[in-house]
Amino acid sequence: MNKHTILVAAALALGAGTAHAETFKWAAQTDPQTMDPHAVNSAPVLGFLNNVYEGLVRRGKDMSVEPALAESWEPLGGNGWRFNLRRGVTFHDGAAFTADDVLFSYERASSEAADTASWFAPVSDVTVVDDFTIDFLTIAPNPIFPDSIANFMIMDKGWAEANGVELPAKDAENFATLNANGTAAFRLAERQPGLTTVLEPFEGWWGEVEHNITRAEFTPVQNSATAVAALLSGEVDMINPVPVQDAGRVAERDGVGVITGIEARVIMFGFAHQAETIKYSDDAGEPNPFRDARVRKAVAHAINVDAILQTIMRGAAEPASQLVSPAMRGYTPALAERPAYDPDAARALLAEAGHPDGFSFGLKCPNDRYLNDESVCQAAVSMLAQIGLRAELDAMPVRTYWPELREDNFDMYLLGWSPGTFDAEHPIRFLAATPNEEKRLGSWNFGDFSNARVDELLPMIQSEIDDAARQTMLDEVAGILQDEQAYVPLYVQPLIWGVRDGIELTQRPDNFFILRWVTVNE
Amino acid sequence: MLAFIIRRVLQSVVVLLVVGLVAFSLFRFVGDPVDNLLGQERTIEDIDRVRSELGLDQPFPVQYFRFLQGVTQGNFGVSFRQGRPVADILAERAPATLELAAVSALFAIVLGITLGVYTAIRRDGWLSNFIMTSSLIGVSLPTFLIGILLIYVFAVELGWLPSFGRGETVQIGWWTTGLLTESGLKAIILPAITLGLYQMTLIMRLVRAEMLEVLRSDYVKFARARGLSQRSVYFRHALKNTLVPVITITGLQLGSIIAFAIITETVFQWPGVGLLFINSIQFVDIPVMASYLMLISVMFVVINLIVDLLYFAIDPRLSASRGGGH
Amino acid sequence: MEAIARALDSDLAYRFRRSPVAMLAALVVVLLIGSSVFAPLITSQNPFDPGSLNLMNGFSEPMQPNQFTGETFVLGTDDQGRDVFATILYGMRISLFVGFSAVIFAMVLGVTLGLLSGYVGGRTDTIIMRIADIQLTFPAILVALLIFGVAKGITPPDRRDEVAIWVLIIAIGLSEWVQFARVVRGATLVEKSKEYVQAARLIGRSPVAIMVRHILPNTLSPVLVIATISLALAIIAEATLSFLGVGAPPTQPSLGTLIRIGQEFLFSGEWWILFFPAMTLLALALSVNLLGDWLRDALNPKLR
Repeated sequence: MNKHTILVAAALALGAGTAHAETFKWAAQTDPQTMDPHAVNSAPVLGFLNNVYEGLVRRGKDMSVEPALAESWEPLGGNGWRFNLRRGVTFHDGAAFTADDVLFSYERASSEAADTASWFAPVSDVTVVDDFTIDFLTIAPNPIFPDSIANFMIMDKGWAEANGVELPAKDAENFATLNANGTAAFRLAERQPGLTTVLEPFEGWWGEVEHNITRAEFTPVQNSATAVAALLSGEVDMINPVPVQDAGRVAERDGVGVITGIEARVIMFGFAHQAETIKYSDDAGEPNPFRDARVRKAVAHAINVDAILQTIMRGAAEPASQLVSPAMRGYTPALAERPAYDPDAARALLAEAGHPDGFSFGLKCPNDRYLNDESVCQAAVSMLAQIGLRAELDAMPVRTYWPELREDNFDMYLLGWSPGTFDAEHPIRFLAATPNEEKRLGSWNFGDFSNARVDELLPMIQSEIDDAARQTMLDEVAGILQDEQAYVPLYVQPLIWGVRDGIELTQRPDNFFILRWVTVNE
Repeated sequence: MLAFIIRRVLQSVVVLLVVGLVAFSLFRFVGDPVDNLLGQERTIEDIDRVRSELGLDQPFPVQYFRFLQGVTQGNFGVSFRQGRPVADILAERAPATLELAAVSALFAIVLGITLGVYTAIRRDGWLSNFIMTSSLIGVSLPTFLIGILLIYVFAVELGWLPSFGRGETVQIGWWTTGLLTESGLKAIILPAITLGLYQMTLIMRLVRAEMLEVLRSDYVKFARARGLSQRSVYFRHALKNTLVPVITITGLQLGSIIAFAIITETVFQWPGVGLLFINSIQFVDIPVMASYLMLISVMFVVINLIVDLLYFAIDPRLSASRGGGH
Repeated sequence: MEAIARALDSDLAYRFRRSPVAMLAALVVVLLIGSSVFAPLITSQNPFDPGSLNLMNGFSEPMQPNQFTGETFVLGTDDQGRDVFATILYGMRISLFVGFSAVIFAMVLGVTLGLLSGYVGGRTDTIIMRIADIQLTFPAILVALLIFGVAKGITPPDRRDEVAIWVLIIAIGLSEWVQFARVVRGATLVEKSKEYVQAARLIGRSPVAIMVRHILPNTLSPVLVIATISLALAIIAEATLSFLGVGAPPTQPSLGTLIRIGQEFLFSGEWWILFFPAMTLLALALSVNLLGDWLRDALNPKLR
């Protein structure tokens, strides 16, 4: 706060005309709640801090992994990876970057107090070979380890120790919550939580500068209609997201435009696979029909995804057939077809399963988590009604949604999944594996889907180094999930950003906004 | 007198304690903060750990007692979401809300009294009737809709005024003000109108009713008979006599302006305590919610107390046995 | 008693006939209430029946045939393909039901507590008035959020859908009873000291009888005014709560829910989804407010 002290007279003299040509202002829905890269593992925080901190590796414009603080890496003879670090890198405060900082950051990020510890579950040991070489040893061969630590950000050991932030703080404020000292192209110039955060270019950055920003101001604007108004009236240069329904108007309007892309997030319906009875609606207490794969298939056939995409999503999304989108590593092209919209086939399947007149049940849905989530569920309710499935919709904010799902309070539910590793193994681990707390498996598999073959294949996939053999196993799992209709994937959520004309930027499928790819033309 | 004050203060403390207790016992129904604090890759273990770190595994009387213990030492706890002391966060946000409330109250009072006097003097004029009827339109639409419509017209279509935020602010000591910069002044116009509209209507109608009553009184008739000018009758005598109830009501309304700034702040993304409160509901940030409610309660209780004391001072017949209320 | 009521009625009726604004407002209110009560006779679509909706009808412009289905809707359709006209009529039912129920709830609660507080006095008075203070402290929004949460927690899972409406009624009612209580308490304090009440007490009439037979009738006209204005407030409060997401469910939208849904389409050009429900709300609330305004003037002899 004290950094913001401006003399009254100076401020009056500056007035409104101070906006520099290269000052870039942007708005998004959520404020990153901390500047500590290890305290919280959430997209708003990691996405923002990618502009301030850097990892050993980073993702490029096409999501491919590329060198950052490590210039190169190779698998070790046994289990693990060696990273050869970049020389001559300095932190924003001028300190030099060495392997000790990586080791320190590993210890910090994998500590009990860190929210990022799960990234390092496969790591058994980390050894510093010399100042610019470091080895990460893993429990088993781990082909995707470098991919999985693209958001593992390196903090300066000396800075952390000097400021008493050797460990991330969760339930108290510490120096690293409000200040940052990374190696990336921008340094934190000002931080007012929930209000504004200002970044300025770091002169001593090791990379080649592509942007022409002299100052970047971020403001959280929670209400997306307000954000659209701010973009249209020229108060900000870029907003994320533009509500799908407003994209057309924003695109047509002079002076602004939209950039659309496909996000990594697949939206799907899930079911109670193990519950004995229906929990909601008039049929509560009746045997649970969703245990039968034919009923789940009937649901898949009853939902007219094309109609949802055409109206509610305004043609901005792509249909999905698997738990990952085609852009992800390990996608199965042979299973790209999703079940056709066919109410007659759906009714036939229901009759075959012994429910010719349908049944009623409860559908749980978030109303502030995914794009138009509530509308999509509502549309699904009316489509299911046409084959005799009477869904009782209960839409709620996420603050009560996840607890409800954890307590198994659903018959059917909506879920979106974005694989953090951009690999098809990720959703299998979290959504398809039989829940097992000890092995940290299936932690988002609320419906307790369980398939012995999937459970058997997962560890094999995780440690298979050969790409072709790995793909064969991933294809087999995708096939099982489709045959069993474990989930009903609907579509891949679109990314829609609004920008002022004259701004060039790159939209990455993980919805991270990377400032160093922005150029402001007047 | 002193006994009365002491008794009222004690009652007020009980009120505050009850507010806190009710709030705390109900917070657990608002939702679970844990999911917002952990990423997608959390395990059930992580959830339990964070919950016990935050003290959420304790029964609510224990949580409440801990909160009270902190408050008595001036410590409002630490925000779950931001990991910073709630007192700091509230102090950062309070100026925005107080400035908005002050400006909208000013707007409501000035315009309310002016229009109230006018409509009382020209009781049956067409303009008066028009003002009276159209003022009802303002209170017949929900605040959020008025705000959105103002944004649409003045920010998006006409581009005259900003659609969100406070504009540039200037720091004076610990206070931040938006009233000293051009962008800050522009930014406050639409939210202040949105927030003040309801109160303006209220004051206008009150002034009109009081004026009409006073104008009919013998005292004014006498003043007229003495040959005083219309202007003097209206402003020297009539208006002066209407101001006491107007000031009382306005004082009471000031509290609700601040409390109900919640919606206006949400629509305009005005970075005050109301927006903070709405955000804290979304993230189930219990320390922030509890502190906000306590502050608002203190404010209402103090305003109530002052009003009661004023009544007491003005009218000694209201003996100390009188409980309260207005 | 009845004679007095009749006299009041006829006097009111006379004043009513002389006020074109009041007559117009009453006409609008009657028209709106009537059309929502008889909604099934007026429109063929039941927007609350999900099975009857066709998503491809979504976003039809008023009076324009839909580009996919060719169907035409007078006031257009919303994002789910619901006829906006039919949805307004059905939605108004919920808004009116919530509004009336909340006001009745607030009135019964407020009048009872106000009578008690004023008549019994002492500790009872103190406690009731302190509760009123507490009540004022809680913004209606928060009361609704909390009651909503509690209701979710304690109702059996399969009955939660029906709970939402009652939560609205209780939340809005709770935020408005204080008005009634304060006015009735004030009037009671005045009446209590009058000779006829003293006399009734002396001849041994029970306190309840005195309160109900003697004091209550004297508080009726301010209560009527407050009730009318509260009705408008309640309808608007319902809209605001729906905007904050604790209102009627989107599958059975009230006017407020419709406005919340509609405002998402303000910038995208589908103005009718917001415009018509908002206009209906405005017409309803404005008419009720005008009636309340007129009623206040008409019942206040000093302003004649």
